[in-house]
Amino acid sequence: MISQKANNALQVHALEARAQTLGLYKGQPLANARAMVQPLAIVPADEKADAVLVEGIADWCDRFTPLASLDSPDGLLLDITGAAHLFGGETAMLATVTQSIARQGFAVQGAIAGTSLAAHALARYVPGTITPRGKDAEAVTPLPITALECGDKSLRALRHAGLKTIGQVGTRLHSELSERLGADFVTRLKVMLGAEEKPLQPRRALPDLMAEQRFAEPIVTEETIVASLLQLAQHLGEILERQGRGARMLEAAFFRVDGKVARITVRTGEPLRDPKVILRLLRQRLDALADPLDPGFGFDLIRLEALLAEETRPATISFDSNENARRQIGFLVDRLAARFGDARVQRFVPQDTHIPEAASVAVPAQDSDFAQQNWSLKRRPGDPPRRPLRLLGKPEEISAVLASVPDGPPSRFRWRRAQFDVARAEGPERIAMEWWRRSVGESQSDQNKAGLTRDYFRVETRDGQRFWLYRDGLYQQNGLAPRWYLQGLFA
Amino acid sequence: MSYAELAVTTNFSFLRGASHPQEFVTQAQALGYAAIGIADRNSLAGVVRAYGEWKGMEGARPQLLVGARLVFRDGTPDILAYPKNRKAYGRLSRLLSIGKLRAQKGECLLDFADLLDYRRGLQLIVMPPLNPESIKPVLARLGSNTWLAASMLYSGEDRRCLRDLAKLARTARVPLIAVNDALYHHVERRQLQDVVTCIREHVTLKDAGKRLEANAERHLKPAKEMQRLFRDCPEAVAETLCFARGISFTLAELGQRYPREPVPRGKTADQHLRDLTQAGLKGRYPQGVPQKIADIAEKELRFIAEGHIAHYFLTVHDIVRFARAQNILCQGRGSAANSVVCYAIGVTAVDPTEVEVLFERFLNTNRREPPDIDVDFEHERREEVIQYIYRRYGHRRAALTATVIHYRPRSAIREVGKVFGLTEDVTGKLAGTVWGHHGDELEEHQVRQGDCDPGNAAVDRAVSFANELMGFPRHLSQHVGGFVLARYKLDWTVPIGPAAMDDRFFIEWDKDDLDTLAIMKVDILALGMLTCIRKAFDLIHRHAKSGKEKKLALATVPQSDPATYDMLCRADAIGVFQVESRAQMSMLPRLQPRTRYDLTIEVAIVRPGPIQGGMVNPYLKRRTILRKDKNAQFPFPAPSPKYGRPDELHAILDKTLGIPLFQEQAMRLAIVAAKFTSEEANGLRRAMATFRHVGTIHTFEQKFVGRMVARGYDGAFAQNCFEQIKGFGSYGFPESHAASFALLVYVSAWIKKHYPAAFAGALLNSQPMGFYAPAEIVRCAREHDVIVLAPDAAFSDWDSTLERNAVGELCLRLGLRQIDGFAESHARIVMEERSYGYPSFADFARRTALPKRALITLAEADAFRGFGLDRREGLWAVRRLPDDSPLPLFAHEGNRGATPEMGAENIAPLPRMPDSQQVVADYQTLRLSLKGYPTQFLRPLFDAEQITSCAGLAALPDGARARVAGVVLVRQRPGEGTAIFITLSDETGIANLVLWESRFAALRKEVMGARLLLAEGKVQKSPEGVLHLMVENLIDRSADLSRLYADEAPLPAPTHMKVKGGHPSNVRVLPPSRDFH
Repeated sequence: MISQKANNALQVHALEARAQTLGLYKGQPLANARAMVQPLAIVPADEKADAVLVEGIADWCDRFTPLASLDSPDGLLLDITGAAHLFGGETAMLATVTQSIARQGFAVQGAIAGTSLAAHALARYVPGTITPRGKDAEAVTPLPITALECGDKSLRALRHAGLKTIGQVGTRLHSELSERLGADFVTRLKVMLGAEEKPLQPRRALPDLMAEQRFAEPIVTEETIVASLLQLAQHLGEILERQGRGARMLEAAFFRVDGKVARITVRTGEPLRDPKVILRLLRQRLDALADPLDPGFGFDLIRLEALLAEETRPATISFDSNENARRQIGFLVDRLAARFGDARVQRFVPQDTHIPEAASVAVPAQDSDFAQQNWSLKRRPGDPPRRPLRLLGKPEEISAVLASVPDGPPSRFRWRRAQFDVARAEGPERIAMEWWRRSVGESQSDQNKAGLTRDYFRVETRDGQRFWLYRDGLYQQNGLAPRWYLQGLFA
Repeated sequence: MSYAELAVTTNFSFLRGASHPQEFVTQAQALGYAAIGIADRNSLAGVVRAYGEWKGMEGARPQLLVGARLVFRDGTPDILAYPKNRKAYGRLSRLLSIGKLRAQKGECLLDFADLLDYRRGLQLIVMPPLNPESIKPVLARLGSNTWLAASMLYSGEDRRCLRDLAKLARTARVPLIAVNDALYHHVERRQLQDVVTCIREHVTLKDAGKRLEANAERHLKPAKEMQRLFRDCPEAVAETLCFARGISFTLAELGQRYPREPVPRGKTADQHLRDLTQAGLKGRYPQGVPQKIADIAEKELRFIAEGHIAHYFLTVHDIVRFARAQNILCQGRGSAANSVVCYAIGVTAVDPTEVEVLFERFLNTNRREPPDIDVDFEHERREEVIQYIYRRYGHRRAALTATVIHYRPRSAIREVGKVFGLTEDVTGKLAGTVWGHHGDELEEHQVRQGDCDPGNAAVDRAVSFANELMGFPRHLSQHVGGFVLARYKLDWTVPIGPAAMDDRFFIEWDKDDLDTLAIMKVDILALGMLTCIRKAFDLIHRHAKSGKEKKLALATVPQSDPATYDMLCRADAIGVFQVESRAQMSMLPRLQPRTRYDLTIEVAIVRPGPIQGGMVNPYLKRRTILRKDKNAQFPFPAPSPKYGRPDELHAILDKTLGIPLFQEQAMRLAIVAAKFTSEEANGLRRAMATFRHVGTIHTFEQKFVGRMVARGYDGAFAQNCFEQIKGFGSYGFPESHAASFALLVYVSAWIKKHYPAAFAGALLNSQPMGFYAPAEIVRCAREHDVIVLAPDAAFSDWDSTLERNAVGELCLRLGLRQIDGFAESHARIVMEERSYGYPSFADFARRTALPKRALITLAEADAFRGFGLDRREGLWAVRRLPDDSPLPLFAHEGNRGATPEMGAENIAPLPRMPDSQQVVADYQTLRLSLKGYPTQFLRPLFDAEQITSCAGLAALPDGARARVAGVVLVRQRPGEGTAIFITLSDETGIANLVLWESRFAALRKEVMGARLLLAEGKVQKSPEGVLHLMVENLIDRSADLSRLYADEAPLPAPTHMKVKGGHPSNVRVLPPSRDFH
């Protein structure tokens, strides 16, 4: 069953036949449906995806007629004028179309009629109908007025007057109807009855973000390849600019005369459309190829395509040096990534947590939005850093710790077989672990999963080394002497 | 060496603190603190709770300091403010009021400058910000009586910070003071504190990150631990004691100055009340005041004088007098309302000679309790009374009480579920299993009902935290009508903030808090039945035969009318005040009320208290015996002779045949039988009043039951009495209220009996109110031989009216208000233009110039029959009218007449509408039909299936199996009950179903979803003739309703959707049932 948010409440948007037999229905508040039937499998509606799917089917239908148009949300109208004989006549064509769509796993029904409205209605109410020429009126006469799809207002008016079929409505005077329901209604009725026709609206596709160049004479030399790449980059840049978008991923495809295709892709950290920068990134990638681009007998087609594009915020270049530095870093990251690989150039991203080792993660630098990162740490002005810049990969246990109970700093400890005497210390900074990560059923004292509460200390040894270490667990907890760990070194 | 914690944030700093104020006070006592200060964010809302707890504590208790944490909008660090004395407290309260009045609802916007204005007498603690240097100027401007706070919360640099703060304090010449900035009373609440933080910040625990505290240190710590933490600076801990010593203020000093307004110059309030009482009594007893009454009045007046509460009675009198002058019906109730004085000054119409005077009991028992008078007004006109109060006392001196909105199961599980990342459908399911808004705990079976596995870890955890959160205050809201009045400015006593409605203000304390502080309030409540009764009086007066009769009033309705009681004994009570619910209606024939006191019992007996205490059946048994034998004697519960006179309970239980039924009796039992001291009794009363959100009542159980048993009472009886007290806690219904309500029961029943048409009309004109939909009211009226006429544009007013038909019979003409979606303003136009008569529909449309939408509404409701047009013709004619004029500028000129007259039309007749569809359409537009009942069209079908009609049930013997089908009218699931009541109706009458909780799980879908229900089960008949069908199975027959508008020949439907336009039950053939909890 599929749910949808309408009027700020979840509703049943669509449902399968089995759910219908249980008495659930389209438009029912979800809560009611839940109260009636349990359990229910519910999927949120995705109208965009639905639309894309119908578009896809429409594309596929191009093979039957160039005039396939969408009949939203769930229908297609094909203008088969002059096309039917290619598929063995109307009956055979209808069968071919419906069967081949059904084979792809869709529930489908169809009809052929003289006007789009009649075909629309018959496909839904009497699927399989093929009306003989000029007999549309007879075919739709027994249909209920809902088939007119003339809007709730008119539908109500007709229903209230006791007029239930298209046939009954058709017998009333046109003046009587147009005075009450408007001239549009009468027009619609006429189309339905085959007395008038309304043209289909052919579909329009979004332009591709692509530029290509064909060469009468295959090109071989690097200079010509680069020159044509620059042209393509300029062309693509213009297309992107017109749409207010920038590329995040680019693909250049080189079609060899012998049919082989070589493709290279580059990713960028920011939406990009500057041809020079595009060219530079492509060249760097080309240079870095282990297996250099082999033109063989030459390329006869080069295509440059933006595989991924994003809206660009119109950037006002300010004189703020930070902003410029940020952009420069971005360019550097793109250049490095083009050379060493996207995953190799990483950047730390702060995480909102008290747990030190989880406070930052490294991600591919091009993926993260530099501007949104915020490293601010509550610190009094003039204070030394609370934490080392980088931590050990894993805290290392220290032994032979001398410390006062309950929350004193260590005065001496061993780490990596060396003895350290603490000269100065500050702390403790007490950090409790995230209790909700503990699995249910474990009691307060049984904290192994989430970890124990830690007391952190910054210490300086006699020799001037500075460490960040912690006691894992409080003394009063579970009776055992707590263990100590070293987690980082201050510079 | 001891310690005092001064920085305490309770859960009245909403979604910040994670402990009740009471818990902090108790914990402080347990830790042996010298003092505890409650300081919530810009609020005094929680201090009374702490004070109430503190007052009841035994043994050594910490000093309780009352303050607030001032949070500023201008970047000043938080400052804790504690008043030294009453005057300083007034300033603090005023300061908070200023901040609240400046802000939107619930907020408080303060500037540092405001504090300086009201600073005198306040001891202030400045909470240091991240950079303490910045507060030097703040400290300098605050001057003396200022402290600088330091805390040791394991931040890592605590000791260095402490050293810096100490230095800063020395240079600024303010003492350093230790605080632990507590958010919860005990370390175990840390998790809940994280949860409420997430609720506040609208994040899940996973995403909350640093919005949560890093550790669990913000609880109350032992003094020793505080000393250890502050070992570098021991004077900071010692300073907490100095701070507490500087404060002498306690909430006991508040008291209340009552307004003096109503007293004429040169008279004392007592004298004035005495004069009013005596004059009033003369009016009430024209034949002379009975001596007994005069004596009681004298006693009451003396008591009032001693208690200095005459002003209270005078203000209530003043309000009531205003209402009377405006012809607004009102009726007082409450502990003080059932006094001779209140009867004399017109606050109540309950004649003290008829009902035992309850005030006397009040005098004897509750000298500490403030008198309590609630006044009910007509619900449609209460606003006028409220406006009068504001006019009279001004906004500074009159404000509404607050209602503390607590977390209830639904809200708790929804919000906690979100915090744990449960999806909305899971929390929705969990919340959906709670029927109604009350309940104290989500239980496992409810979790299971919601189709959630209680073993599921995340669900389980969310449920356990939700249970913990339940009872936490969520926000303050205004009480429906509790007014607090003051002689001087009210914000001198309690902070006042703006309410949602413009020009409304409410204080920070709720009803229980006011009780704790013995502050008096008047409840100005709205009661639909009063509106109904007044409208009925008006209708009766307008259509009186002679036209000379005096208009009826509550006090002048003929008393003790046998016909009225006969009707009630037959459970013929639809529309009658209070006794129209299913439970009440089945009680009426068993109780057989014959007097007003019987009605008082009737009103009070069907409540959780007597039901849980198991008192209902014993009482009914005794009444049955008494009916047969007038002189029957019953054994009263008695102590063993060693401990007291065997008749010690006679005076208390005499009127209820030895069975305690009322809250007042239970309290007297505690004192007389369980020997509660007045202090203990007060505690019990408080626990009872706050049972639902605090749950301290269990502490009294041992005391109550144990002492009664020790004194030789029957153990089961003692336990039942206590169960009853618990029941009162969840829904208290004292005798004093029941007595006032009983009068309204009687009056409404009397009107129903003698003026059924006026009664039905008044009920319809007062909707929405009561249990029954208009369809049932109309049906009931017709059963009482009232001729009911359909709403018609040609004849109807907005309200339902009475009119004489051609034969001169008085008929009820339904008003246009019955038509769904038809506006009152349009009805007024129809009524105005009607004075010239409407010769035709065209004339009607032109002259009223109603918008087309409104005309369509009328036509759909079949309201043009008066013009000879049926529903279809009417609609078709309306649709032909041109659309509304787009230029309102010209609208007044010629109305629709300005448009060219449309030529007469000669069109074919429209198809005729079948009767069943007419009825359906009536239901869709009027929610009732005078043409028939939906089930009558299904009767052939039902007959074929051997389904009995509702009326047919009566003919079946007790225990017979039966099948009955009908429209679901009411679904009711009393909070504590184990049964679900469903009322079905068909064209012959209604059938009452009882469904045991155990079957509910299996039949849930049918109970919740069906509009038309087929029930199978056994007939159960009581000797009094009460008839129930004990349900074994239910079948949803809603789909059959579609037959009503089905056509002879079905039309093709779109094949890929089996039912286009939705499930039949969605097509609103019938209005939804009314559900009660």
